[in-house]
This record gives sequence, structure tokens and C-alpha cells, in this order.
Amino acid sequence: MSHSAKIGYGLKRPKKTTILLLLSVVFFFALTANDVVGQRRFSRNFPAGKNVRLQLLNRSGTVTVEGWNRPEVSISASLEAPAATISPQVIEGAILINLMKDNQGREVGNVNFNVRVPYACVVDIETLIGNLIVTNVRGGSVRAHISSEGDVTLTNISANTVQAQNGIGDLFFDGDILPGGNYRFASMRGTINIRIPFNSSFKLVATAPSTRYISLGPFANSNLSYVGDGRRVVGKFGDGSSTLTVTNQRGGISFFTR
Amino acid sequence: MNCGECQEILSRFIDGELDEKRSTTVSDHLAVCAECTVLCDDLAEILLQCREPETDEAVPPNPAALWRRINNLIESELPAEIPVEEKPRGWFARGWNLTFSQAGVAVLSIALISSLLTIVGIRNYFEPPGNDLPARASEPPSTFQRLLSKVGLVETSQQARERRVKEQQAAIEYWDKRVQMRRVTWDHRMRAAFDRNLFEIDQVVDDYTQILRKDPDDQLSEEMLDSALTEKMNLLRQFSEL
Repeated sequence: MSHSAKIGYGLKRPKKTTILLLLSVVFFFALTANDVVGQRRFSRNFPAGKNVRLQLLNRSGTVTVEGWNRPEVSISASLEAPAATISPQVIEGAILINLMKDNQGREVGNVNFNVRVPYACVVDIETLIGNLIVTNVRGGSVRAHISSEGDVTLTNISANTVQAQNGIGDLFFDGDILPGGNYRFASMRGTINIRIPFNSSFKLVATAPSTRYISLGPFANSNLSYVGDGRRVVGKFGDGSSTLTVTNQRGGISFFTR
Repeated sequence: MNCGECQEILSRFIDGELDEKRSTTVSDHLAVCAECTVLCDDLAEILLQCREPETDEAVPPNPAALWRRINNLIESELPAEIPVEEKPRGWFARGWNLTFSQAGVAVLSIALISSLLTIVGIRNYFEPPGNDLPARASEPPSTFQRLLSKVGLVETSQQARERRVKEQQAAIEYWDKRVQMRRVTWDHRMRAAFDRNLFEIDQVVDDYTQILRKDPDDQLSEEMLDSALTEKMNLLRQFSEL
């Protein structure tokens, strides 16, 4: 009896320890697994030619594009659950990512992209919801479009054509106005800030019909005049070789020098 | 013999083609039947007339002269029915018999319209509408433009706007239906963002619609309304693809 009790006692102690250990392991793996399911990562590199072009259409999340001094495009993304499918395509030197098409009819979480491109890359990024950030790009064209909400931030841009548009959110451009270029910024509600060199030359049409707040800052001169009861500014700065069109339906517009 | 049998052979009886017995029978019936007797007399008269030789009065003395007289008579009595040479119908058939004053007015009208069209053409050639639209954005239409609108040569800004808005509203309705079908599959965050943006655009559309009701010639508001409607259409289209 006592022997069997001893044996039984001897068997009970490792059982408790084992259970505790097992519970700890399960708890640890559950946490890790949850993290893996909730946040996945995507990473891919593409060799880039001289005239590379990035076209990215996201559904929701932040897209950051930054120029670098390498002949390759590096795309990394963190995917929130439920994770989206990302299927990049390379067609005639252009890198195309279309999350709308790849995930049509599916519910997907935010996808936050971080893309590094050669300085001379043509950038065309778009999202339904989320912020778009482009930095250090000197290609032929930069386009950033948000269908609904989000901020557009374009910093250190030197492109012949720049288009930035959003619904509700702020819009910031910090870059050059090149001769013969075309620059178009539009927002439904938010603040538009344009930071450009004082030696720029452009034909300007700036419209803020609701707030009538158009601050020309150091660019104010006799060639630029307010029309339509102060809702619009039109005219030339410098020799007017490029075109700058800024429209903010329910917000203000401000100009600064770099 | 009854009347039917009698009338059936009456013609042969008159011609004397019946035999004696049947001829006697017909004679006996005619003696007692007034109706058949009358019929017999009429038939005999007709046959007699037919057998008489043609008289000279039956043939006109100069048929050609007679036809000429008849033609002359018809022409004098029925001038409207005389067939005439067919003339081209329509505007050209009745428009060229103008008096001197009418012709003068027509020439002046043509000259005026040509001048107006030339001026419009020159203005459009040298001043593309997009170039200085922003500068003219809040200016009312010129007298010249009003004149053209009044004579119907160009569409008034209000008419053009109404037409554009109708077209845009039709497209918006289409995309809106698609969005309504799809939005049940969106998550809460997506629905909320969409609704906020749509509300914002609708506010803008309402603002400019009201301004344009008060001042239909405000081109800047017209332009902004157009832009807001386009934005609405794009928002609906893009979210309908989710």
C-alpha cells in the first residue's frame, strides 16, 4: 500500500510540472502565432533600368517611396490581418502592383509599403485610404492620389510633372518647379502647402472658393491677382514657363520658399 | 306552260326558231299572261333595234373636229385638272419668288450670320477657351455671347451646365447602385471613410448648386461644381471596385 502510494506520489510530481511547462509553451506559441497571423511581411527586390517606373495601387495603409542611389527597386510591406495578396508584375521595365485587382471581393487589412526606387524613377502611387509619402525622387513624373482620406507628403521632388490629390487630408509639396513643367495639386478638405524655390517661374491658378484663404507669401506680386471675390488667384510669377494649378474646395492654400 | 318555261324560250319564239307545236303553246300562254306579254314586247323591241341598219347620224361628220371641240370644252371647264409639268417640291419650289425687299433682307441676314460666325471662329482660334478660363471665371458672359445665345447659335452657360450635370448625375447613379451592392462586404472602417468623403463632396455640391441658383453666371462656382461632381463619380467608381 505504502509502496504503491510512494509510486503514485512519485508519478504525480512530474505530471504537475509537465502540465505547467506545457501550458507555458502553448501560451508562448499562441502569442507568437497570433503575431504571425496578425502581421505578415512581404519583401521583394527588382533590378531597375534607367527608365524604371513604379505603379502601385493600394487599398488601405501608408505607402512610402524613397529615392536611393542604386539601380534596383526594393519593395517591403507589412500586412495586417486578414493579409492581402501582393502579386507584383514587371512589364516593359515598369513594376506594377495592384492590390485592388489582386484582392477584389476580399476583406483585407492595411498594407503598409516601404519602397526604395532609383532617383530617376517615375512614381505613380494611389490608395483608397491612407497616407502617401514620396521623398527624394527626380524622375520625369510623380503622381500621388488618395481617393478618400489621407495626407500626401512630397518632399525633395524634382520632376517635370507632379500631380497630387486627396479627399480629406493635407497636401504638402516641397520641391522644384522645372521650366515647362506641369504641377497640379487638389484637395477636397484640408490644407495645401507648397514649398518651392523663389527663383521658380510659373503660371498660377490657385482656387480656394470656400475659405478664400490663398496666401502667396513671398510670391505675391503685381502679376498675380485675386479674382472672383478673392476665391482665386491667377497670374504669372517669373516668366511663367511652367503651369501650377492648386485647388482646395474647402481649405486654404499657402506658398513658402525653400 | 308556266311563266318560267315561257321566258326561257321567248327569245327563240321571237326569232321563229320554235316548232309549230311549241310556238302555239307559247302563243297560248302569252294570250293569258300579261307579264310574259310585256316581257315579250320589250325583247322584241330590243331585237328589232339591234337588227336595224346603222344610220348616217350615228357617225359624226368629222370625228377629228368633234374630238378637238370636246377637248377645248374640257380644258375651258376644268383648268385645275389639266396635267402640268411637274415642278420640284419643298423649300426651293416656293422660296425663290421674292420681292426686292425680301431679297434685300435675306442678303443682309446672310451677311450678318456669316460675320457672326467668322468672329466666333476667329475668337476660338486665337483664344482657346481653356487658356484664360480661370481669369474669366467669375465674369458674366459678354453682350456678344448673350446675343449668340439669344439667337440660338450657342448654348447658354446655364443650358450647358444643366446638360453636363444631368450627364454626371446619370453616371453617379450608375456607380452608386454598384456601391450599394458591394458595401455590405466592406469593413466598418472602409464604410465610415467612404461615407465621410461622400458627405464632404455632397456638401460642396450643395453649396455650389445654391450659389448658382442665385447667380447662374458665376463660372467659378460652375467649374467647382463640375469638379466636385467628377470627384464624386470617381470616389463611387473606385469604391465600387472593392
